[in-house]
Parts: sequence; C-alpha cells; structure tokens
Amino acid sequence: MSIGFDAMGAAFFEGDRPVAEEVSLHIASGILQIGLDDGRILRWPVGDVRQLPDTAGKTGAVLRLKDDPLARLFVTDASLLPHLPNRFRRTPPKGRGRLAAWALAAVAAVALQIGVLVPLLADNMAAYIPPAGERALGEATFGHIREALDDTGLNPVPLCEAPEGAAALERLVARLDAPTNDVPQINVAVLDHPMVNAFALPGGFVVLFRGLIEAAESPDEVAAVLAHEIGHVVSRDPTRHALRSAGSIGVLGLLFGDFAGGAAVLFLTERLIAAQYSQEAEAGADSFAHDVLARAGISPGALGDMFESFRRKYGDRDGVAAHFLSHPALGARIEAARAAVEVGAAYNPALSAEDWAALRGICD
Amino acid sequence: MSDTAVPDSPWAAPPQAASAQPQPDGMQVEFTGRRWTLFWLALKTGFFTILTLGFYRFWMKTRLRRWYWSAIRPGGHPLEYVGDPLEKLLGFFIAVVVLTFYIGIVNLLLMFVSFSVFNSSWLGYLASFAGVIPIWFYARYRARRYVLARTRWRGVRFGLEKGAWGYAGRALVHWAVTILTLGILWPRMTFALEKYRTDRTFFGSARLVQQGRWRMLYRAALPFIAVVVAGMALAVWILVIDPITPDLLSNPGSLPSRFVTALQLGRWPLGWESPERLWAVPVLMAGLVYGAIHYRWVAKRIMANHKAAYGVTFASRLQGPRIAMIYTLGTFISYMVLVLGIALIVVLSISMYGPTAWLEGANAAGLGGFGDLPRWLSFGILGVIYLSVFLLWGVLHNTFVTFPIMRHMARTTTLPATAGLQAISQRDRDAFAEAEGFAEALDLGAAI
Repeated sequence: MSIGFDAMGAAFFEGDRPVAEEVSLHIASGILQIGLDDGRILRWPVGDVRQLPDTAGKTGAVLRLKDDPLARLFVTDASLLPHLPNRFRRTPPKGRGRLAAWALAAVAAVALQIGVLVPLLADNMAAYIPPAGERALGEATFGHIREALDDTGLNPVPLCEAPEGAAALERLVARLDAPTNDVPQINVAVLDHPMVNAFALPGGFVVLFRGLIEAAESPDEVAAVLAHEIGHVVSRDPTRHALRSAGSIGVLGLLFGDFAGGAAVLFLTERLIAAQYSQEAEAGADSFAHDVLARAGISPGALGDMFESFRRKYGDRDGVAAHFLSHPALGARIEAARAAVEVGAAYNPALSAEDWAALRGICD
Repeated sequence: MSDTAVPDSPWAAPPQAASAQPQPDGMQVEFTGRRWTLFWLALKTGFFTILTLGFYRFWMKTRLRRWYWSAIRPGGHPLEYVGDPLEKLLGFFIAVVVLTFYIGIVNLLLMFVSFSVFNSSWLGYLASFAGVIPIWFYARYRARRYVLARTRWRGVRFGLEKGAWGYAGRALVHWAVTILTLGILWPRMTFALEKYRTDRTFFGSARLVQQGRWRMLYRAALPFIAVVVAGMALAVWILVIDPITPDLLSNPGSLPSRFVTALQLGRWPLGWESPERLWAVPVLMAGLVYGAIHYRWVAKRIMANHKAAYGVTFASRLQGPRIAMIYTLGTFISYMVLVLGIALIVVLSISMYGPTAWLEGANAAGLGGFGDLPRWLSFGILGVIYLSVFLLWGVLHNTFVTFPIMRHMARTTTLPATAGLQAISQRDRDAFAEAEGFAEALDLGAAI
C-alpha cells in the first residue's frame, strides 16, 4: 500500500546547487519515495529520516537522511511527519575524545596557571617591586577591600579614628616596632566592621577589624595579632599574594565569561581577606610574633590564648577569623606559642588599663 | 571565479545594478515564527543554563540560532544553522587554553611594571585593556567566519575567507583615523570594514562584492549631524549670544549641578535669563541616540543595496525610525518586566521572612550569611539570583528586541535578480576547530 502526500510547495535540494527541485512524495513499504522531475526516484527508509530541530513557524519542516550531511527535503504537508518514527532521534556526536582532551587541557592550563606559574612569577617579582610601588599596590587593594565590604557597594567601610584610641594603638605599635631596618613603615588601621579578623596588605598596611578588638579578652591578644601580621609584612607575604591575585583575576573572569565578572571579584575579595598563606608563612609569622612579643616584654602565650579563646567562643565556624582558625595545624601553633613563654620571665600587659579602654572605644 | 580579479570588477561583464523594476526572477524574503514560541524556547534554554552553571549556554545559543535561521526564508525556503553545541564547547576550551596564559601572565607583568615604575594601577589596567583590543577584533572576525560557515540555504553553504588578523589591523587603523578626525571619517571606517568582510563572503562558489563608495554613508548620518549642529547652535545661544547667567561662560562646569538644584527646588534659580531653553538639552540627548541608531541601520541598508554576487542582487527597504522604535519599546518593555519580576521576588521574600530578616540578611551578605544560613548557601542563593536576572534580561531582549529587528530586516529584504543562483555550486566544509571560542571567552558572543 502506498500513501501519497501533498507536494505543493515541497522542494528537494541535492546539496550542490541552490535550486529547488519539485518532487512527488509517497511512502510505500517503509520507504519514503521522492520522485524528481527528471524521472529519478530517491528512496529514503522512513526509519533513517530525521527532522531538523527548533524550526520556527508551523508551515514547513526540513527533513534529512541520517547519513547524508547535505541533501535536504523541505515538506509542507504535516501529515507526512507522523510516518517517520525516528524523526526526532539525534545523530550521535562525533569527536568526543578530542573534546575530552581539550577539556582536560583547559583545566590543566588553568590549574598550571593559578597553581604554579602565577605564584612562581609573583614570588620572584615581590622581591623586586620598589617600596613606593608596593605602597601604591597596598593602597589600591585596601580601597577595593573597603568598598567590597560595604553592603551597598557605594561607600567604603569607614575607618575608626577616635584620637585617644588611635594614640593608644600607636603606642602599642611603637612598643612592637620591628627590629630590622628593611621593614617598610607599619601603618595600622581599624575598620568599622563587625568581622573578627585582621589582615596585612602590601606596603606595610596592617588592618584590624572592630570585631577583633571587641572579641579580644586582653590587650595582649590584640598585640599578639598585630605582631603576627607584622610578621607577614616583614616577609612580604601580602605583596606576593596581591600579585598572584592580579594574575589570577583575569583567568577567572575568562572562565566565568558571560555572567560573572561580579562573581570573580567577589571570590577574589573573599580570598584577599581570608588570606590563606602557606603553612611555612604562617609558622614564620608566628615565630616572628613570639620574638617581637618577648622582646617587648609581652607574653608570647597571648597568641595561643587568642587562638584558644576564639575557638572556644565561636567553634570552628566560618566567617569568624577564618584566617586564624581554619588552619589545620592550629593545635601545634597554640603549643608553639605556649612553648615560647619563658618560665620566670616578667611580662607586662601590652597596654595600660586606660589605653586598653581607649583602644576599645576607637570606633565610638 | 578567479581570485586575481580586483574587488571592484571581479567579473567579465558588469553585474546588473539593483533596479526599481521588479524582475521576473525576483525573490522575497519571508519571516515565519511567533514571538511566544521564541520566548518559551529562550526561557527554557535559559533555565537549563542556570541549572548547569552556564554550560548549557552553548546549546542555548545553538538552538536560538537554529530557530532564527529557520524563520528567515528567502524564496520560501528556510536558512539552516548547522552549528554544533559540542564544537562550541570545544572551541571555548581551546580559547581558554590559549588565552589563559596570555591574560594571566601578561596581566601580572603589566601590574608589576605599572606599580614598580608608575606607582599606580591605572596604567596597568589601561595597557591590559589596550592589549585585548586587537584580539577582540580578531575574535569578531573569526566568530563571523564560524557562523557563516555553519549557515546554509537550499543546502548550500555560506563561507568567509581567512583574514582575521588583517581585519584586526585594519580595524585598529580605521579606529585611530576616526578618533583623530573627531568622528568625521566614521563612515569611511564603517564602509571599509564592511567591504573587507563582504568581499570575503561566499555563498557556495559565488563571491559577494560590496560596491558603492564610502561617502554615500553620509546620507545615513544626516540625523546625527543635524542633532550635533543643533547642539552646537544651542550651546552658542545659551552661552554666548544670550547667556542664561552672565557668569556661565567663565564657569561652565557648574551648569549641571545648578540644573540638578533647580530640579530639586522645582523652580529655576532667580536671575536666570529664560532658562526654559535648557529643556532642549534632554531632547538633544535623545536625538543623539536616535541619530546613532539611524546611522547604524540605515548604513546597513545602503550597503546591502550595493552588495551583489554574479547575477544576484539585494534590495533593502529597512526603515531607521522603525528600528529606533523597536529599540525604544523593546528595551522599555524588557526593563518593566524585569523590574516587576524583581519587585515580586522581594515582596515574596519579605512576606516569607519578614522585613527585618531581609535587612539582616542584606547586612550580612557581604561576608556573613542570610540569617542562620551557612555562608556558602547564601553565596549560592545570591549567585542564582544574579544569574536569573541576567538570563531573564537575555530572554526578554530576545523576545522584544532581537525578534522584531530580525523580522523587520527579513521582510524588508528582497533579491531583485536571482538568475545567478543557477551557476552556483557547493563549497567545501570549513572545519574550524575553535568555532567561536575566542569570542565566547572574551564575552563578545552575547549577541546572536
């Protein structure tokens, strides 16, 4: 039995010349017969006919044969379509192996870039960047962070600059003043933000959050945090970090492409603040802090106390001093701080009671 | 066809110019397909894109193009887009591999130099941006080549010859000339770049040629020029001939702030001389935008009327005002729907959690979380909202801007002479491994 279809407006394109050939259309014993004007009849098995997907408009469908990349049959009679059982079936994609290889190469390239090349370059460059440039880098980064921390993104988070508190902070920094000469001048600022955190930036900027001063139980703990951050400044960890970020941000923006320069920047800010330095860098900053504290007559155990009390108060939750708490070797660092306490040595509090009160009120 | 022919006269016999008389073998371009079908297709594929964190966007773009292409039907037969999403994904990976080194290492070096030598980041950003510009032109040409290579009509492939670096170089020179002449030679750039692309475009074995001269594009720029002249006249009038305030000329920078103060007060400051004249400023601004749209599209029309292949001509009756109206209405509708949608989300969440919960959440959004939610989850929610707004905008833009413009373009185009089609035969497949990966990675691919 043969079924005929309305071939008015239907056309066949053999795939060489852009000229429409008129056709007659029949289906007989599972074969779509396409009769051409020159008498030829093309036979397409109905199971091998595919319909092009996502075609606009109700009039007209384009059909192709499974293994023929070029020939096209344009039909206007929709009653033909139900006779083609596999018309929506996809042809299996080719070249999966090549796709997988390039995907792997892309992941490897990004990993190599962010994990090896950028850090390597950044570490080497950090040693050559002149102090004025380092300072400019720090100022720019500090500005970005202050803007990013603000919820509206319109005004940078304000600095705390109450005169008595600032004077107390200055005395504390002077007491801790670093013993070596090639250290850039240390600039300590307090941000009016509830996060319990502190970080160092290139060019000798050390930033404390109001939340940290409020959470500290004694001036010694603030002094310990300061000493630790100064340790990072001395070993130029923040400079390396900022240079690494400058290299990584473009790669991340590239990856997230269309929608999300925003997400990449968010991620970067997050990384800058909760800066995760390497284990050696942290240990180095710790031991630097022990020395500085001991020389200034402040108990080095305060660093351990601070780790301890933060952990007790906040558990291991994120957002809270992640910089200090999330490090795997925290227990070892507490012990190291305790071990640095000399038995019998006379330690004084880092600040007098009045200065401590003034420092706690620096944001008022 | 010989490749040694000069572009202006590639044929032995001169091609027939587009004549007003419709010839017997002329061909109309039809456009089928409904707006809402497209809306659902865009919404559906956009939703999948969010679900797959953006990876479905290669499929989304392929499916939307297939739809648009099949809606455009010269002589009643649809165009076909045969691009493959997987090859786009592959192209994206290739571009990432190549660009990641360029962008990462070069940025780092530029930043280092910028801070070391100039103590500021601006120069680094500037150099980094400037370094991407040639790649940007390069990627645009490559993307066009890919799209043309994957477009067919009546089973015959389109194609674009190689020449992306040549295009990038010419684009840079023309931009420099345009900027140096304060935009006076802009039509020359428009024409030269379009000619470079058109003269390398093929349909099957037939080469397309851009005819005409660049000066003919000044006609398209007339509204823009008129607005600029009117703006200068107004400036002379209110500043010099009959100043609004006597001190204005000595201190023109204060005008915008005074204008804002006047708006806040609801009346003009005392002592101003017929200040109503300032209302001409926003009118002129709107005129500038219209002039720019008019130039862009009418220039396309003029150049389309001067494109031809052997025995095939084009004629376009595209209307600048109509396109401007589509842009205005389409953008307005998209914004309204978007704003209403976001307002709905905000109202819903406030009614669910109460206004204070929302505020607390917003306060902590910087680095804490929404209320008691863990930080990664609130970051995730923020991310999904961000993506949704972005994609909803894309869907609406497709429905209310791209669709009507495509339809207008298709319906106003005719092919008065098509006799040359008989002589055209198929061209070879352009394999093109990296598809439009560079354009995608550099974020140029947002447009269809």
